Amino acid sequence: MKRYFLLRLLLLLPTLFGALTLVFFLIHWIPGDPVEVMLGESAGAADKEELRRNLGLDRPLAEQYGDFLAGCAAGDLGRSLSEGAPVRAIIAARLPATIELAVCAMIAALLISFPLALFAAARRGGWIDRAALLFSLLGLSLPNFWLGPLLMIVFAIQLGWTPVSGRGGWDHLILPALTLGLGMAAILVRILRASLLRAMTEDYVQTARAKGLPERRVWLKHTLRNALTSAVTILSLQFGGLLAGSIITETIFSWPGVGRLTVQAIQARDYPLVQGCVLAIALSYILVNFATDLVYKLVDPRVSYDE
Amino acid sequence: MTNRSWLHAGAVIVLLLVVMALFAPALAPCDPLAQNLDQDLRASSRAHWLGTDKLGRDILSRTIYGARISLLVGLSTVALSLLIGAAAGSVAGYFGGWVDQLLMRAIDILMAFPGILLAIAFTAVLGPGLDHVVLALCLIGWTGYARLVRGEILSLRERDFIQAARSLGCPPQRIVLRHLLPNILAPLIIQATFGLAAAIVAEGSLSFLGLGVEPPTPSWGSMLNDGRQFLLVAPHLTTYPGLALMLTVLALNLLGDALQDRLDSRTA
Amino acid sequence: MSSRRIVYFFPAGVLFLLVLAACRPSPRAAPADYLVAGIESYPLNLDPRYATDANAVRIGNLIYNSLLRADAHARLQPELAASWRSVDPATYEFELRRGVRFSDGRPLTGADVKFTYESMLEANSRSPRRAQLKPLQAIDLLDDYRLRFRLAAPHAPFVEQFTQGIVPAGSAAAADSVPEAPPGSGPFQLQSAESGEKVTLRRNPAYWDKPPALPGVVFKVVPDALVRVLEFKKGDIDFMQNDLEPDVIPWLRAHTAADVETFDGTTFQYIGINLTHPILRNVKVRQALACAIDRESLVRHLLKNLGSVAGGVLSPLNWAYEAGVRRWPYDPARAKRLLDEAGFADPDGDGPLPRFKLSFKTTNVDLRRRIAEAIKEQLQQVGIELEIRSYEWGTFFSDIKKGNFHLYSLAWVGVLDPDILFQIFHSSSAPPNGDNRGRYANPQLDRLLERGRATVDPAERKRIYAEAQRLLADDLPYVPLWWWKNVVVKKPSIKNFLPYPDGDWISLKDVAVQP
Repeated sequence: MKRYFLLRLLLLLPTLFGALTLVFFLIHWIPGDPVEVMLGESAGAADKEELRRNLGLDRPLAEQYGDFLAGCAAGDLGRSLSEGAPVRAIIAARLPATIELAVCAMIAALLISFPLALFAAARRGGWIDRAALLFSLLGLSLPNFWLGPLLMIVFAIQLGWTPVSGRGGWDHLILPALTLGLGMAAILVRILRASLLRAMTEDYVQTARAKGLPERRVWLKHTLRNALTSAVTILSLQFGGLLAGSIITETIFSWPGVGRLTVQAIQARDYPLVQGCVLAIALSYILVNFATDLVYKLVDPRVSYDE
Repeated sequence: MTNRSWLHAGAVIVLLLVVMALFAPALAPCDPLAQNLDQDLRASSRAHWLGTDKLGRDILSRTIYGARISLLVGLSTVALSLLIGAAAGSVAGYFGGWVDQLLMRAIDILMAFPGILLAIAFTAVLGPGLDHVVLALCLIGWTGYARLVRGEILSLRERDFIQAARSLGCPPQRIVLRHLLPNILAPLIIQATFGLAAAIVAEGSLSFLGLGVEPPTPSWGSMLNDGRQFLLVAPHLTTYPGLALMLTVLALNLLGDALQDRLDSRTA
Repeated sequence: MSSRRIVYFFPAGVLFLLVLAACRPSPRAAPADYLVAGIESYPLNLDPRYATDANAVRIGNLIYNSLLRADAHARLQPELAASWRSVDPATYEFELRRGVRFSDGRPLTGADVKFTYESMLEANSRSPRRAQLKPLQAIDLLDDYRLRFRLAAPHAPFVEQFTQGIVPAGSAAAADSVPEAPPGSGPFQLQSAESGEKVTLRRNPAYWDKPPALPGVVFKVVPDALVRVLEFKKGDIDFMQNDLEPDVIPWLRAHTAADVETFDGTTFQYIGINLTHPILRNVKVRQALACAIDRESLVRHLLKNLGSVAGGVLSPLNWAYEAGVRRWPYDPARAKRLLDEAGFADPDGDGPLPRFKLSFKTTNVDLRRRIAEAIKEQLQQVGIELEIRSYEWGTFFSDIKKGNFHLYSLAWVGVLDPDILFQIFHSSSAPPNGDNRGRYANPQLDRLLERGRATVDPAERKRIYAEAQRLLADDLPYVPLWWWKNVVVKKPSIKNFLPYPDGDWISLKDVAVQP
């Protein structure tokens, strides 16, 4: 088993390498010149050439690529073309905000979906079941750039319970986490409900019931555990989608995270910053996946290892 | 309501939407592109049942025509993603070995990569337009189908009837196309149904980033985005396309759920 | 059993660690008596030598002083300069004010001024202003408080460069490892900058002039315009200028206690034309375009009167503005006649077939796209079919510079000296040497513009540019649309805010809050 995990850890590297290569060539392929964005319109051609040479942007692409990879390995991500600060510092300042938002969105999703799924599975076919289904569909179909302002108008303006946007104390987290997490809650409700229903018919549960264990203990001990692992798997699979969805949520809620930074960096053709952002996002995603894999395999030894 | 009725409800709504999309010119009371700047942001009236948008265009007509674009985007995206994903997944699943590893790595890379960057890159290079939106969405979406197909084929590969076919000398493509894929049809269709809903919503997100369909084409996603700034002043701009979107997603998911319960023997 | 424990504790542990790592020690709220202004994007580099985006420049104007400063009427007034004069057409002498200190206590002397300009002229400088400083030959430091600027040749527009913010001598260059904003001598100093979130300024105790009434200002970044309005409604933002949807202004007046003021600006919105295009090189076609677009209607309905129909690049606020230029009022019948005369008859009269098709490129900002859609409809009425293509900024700008367009729409911001016409319309100014993206070439105009920058006498310049504006209004290399108005939304307790035509915030130094 240890060998398996070591192997999986090693496999992270080619994935990371692939993502970095992809972003490098992609961002250089898009039309648009960072030097022009930096120097503005009235700069002369000679000045632009000079700056390009200074920044090393006139070297052959392969050479720039090699330097980029070498820098990554050494931990140096270069300097942002638009802000001037080292990329590592900028991302270090912004990444915690995105992680905070993503984690709270997941927690919000769990808090909403678990009770709903429990009630839905307990009273299968009842009105809660229907309501849970409808709620889950609502969460899936409401785009978050629409949901966000709606929540703001209701909760921040009319009810005055939360601030409108921005990062601050825990009350600033409620609306953005809800907006981002609702889509995930929708998916979770159905998966959890299905998993709970399936678990209820398992042999060992029937056995426990036959043994005369009280219904609630049956539930808590056996079915919930299964549901939890399903939830963890789904969450990790959806984590990538969360990071992508955070771009819109971060813009709407003025959240100073990496998602919004990535879009701005792309618009500014700030190559080092885009590369750094993608590295951060890809790394987070890969690590979360790896952690969940670990948990999943530890918990369910029945699953084979040579996937 | 039984499962059967869920299936029927979903199917009926989807059918209605398809009809709306196909017969939009007959159903829409006005030209969806006809502007009237004097009549902007009016609430519902006799001339405009659902009101007008900022350029004075009839929202009801635009919502009806919007069904066309949204369904078109959704169907093309799903069809293309399905094709690419099924092809990649079946090759990887059947042959295994390094081909499989390569595909899994490629999928990992694409999933770790923020899809939105791909969308921006593609529309930036190729230019705006419906077909490029579909392309961008496909690039992000094919991985799900590939994984599904690969997983299914991996588990079916060792079954007796496949072994038999192989020992009879059946060429790989025949095995995949005639024996393996038909057995995977059910989960694929279910995945596609959910994928259709997701693609339609994703078009809205792309519109938010300015990468959706070109103006003045009406699509629910772009109507939601255009009307977003008027949420305080004229909420009806977003309410109706939003409701249409929700109804479509609802119907598709009901359909998918019901199909899953009926066709997918594993969860029945 | 232990593996079961891991199920519970491991993910919980990972989550807990992540949250711990992500949480900041305490939310840093701004002091309650600071003014909170909402801005659309985070200022990228506050150093006035390297600032590129508008917000960075405007915030920089509160932190740094310059030799001269444009006042609320766009006239240059001395700031750091106690007096100045033009010794000869190519030489300027300045006498600096005494007693000015930077916020870290150092006195501001001629050496700092000299250093600021020279660091921008350096070979590997990343200053966006470097091109505009090209005419400068040398700066002589006559003594601690007197400077002489020598130009290679007389260049009247160069006076605009004296509005450059001054930094202390020895400040880090952009290429160095710590590009923090250097201290300034202005009414405010930088207190803190949180990447992507906000920039906080506090009163500069060492300021040489009357100290600001405000103890500090927080510039809060709220990218979405609707959310900014909601923040204002809730009271978390006290002040906003521009970047608002025009339709939300009446809502603000009706639903909040806001003071809403609109005032004339210099930002010029136009349609750029590719003069090398076979159809568009025909002047009658361009004139038809101008007649076919109902600018009044667009301003009234889409802009909700947040603009005024324009006659040319220079707005009435500009000293060189010429009112007597040819106007093109909305006249679709005339447009059709002009198109017929140009040889592009409508193939089926009033039917759906167009005379010809053109592409119209725009950015993907909502309002710009809406304007494009309205223009498309108006041009359709005269038989021109427009295909709207919207792009994200980088691609759009790159296309425009390459000349890869038929029509596009953009705005010129911060128009001060009429020499901008040289940059836009002189035949030598085609990109990458300037902004003549349409590749316009008019020898008569060329001569006028060359004279305009070489002449120093203001009255003579005014005559020259008046003629240039008349020429441009006849020949229409641009179709002028409107001059944007600036709009300020603030709480009624905020007093003494004086609007500047280019949307500057400099008068925040005079603002007082009276509850």
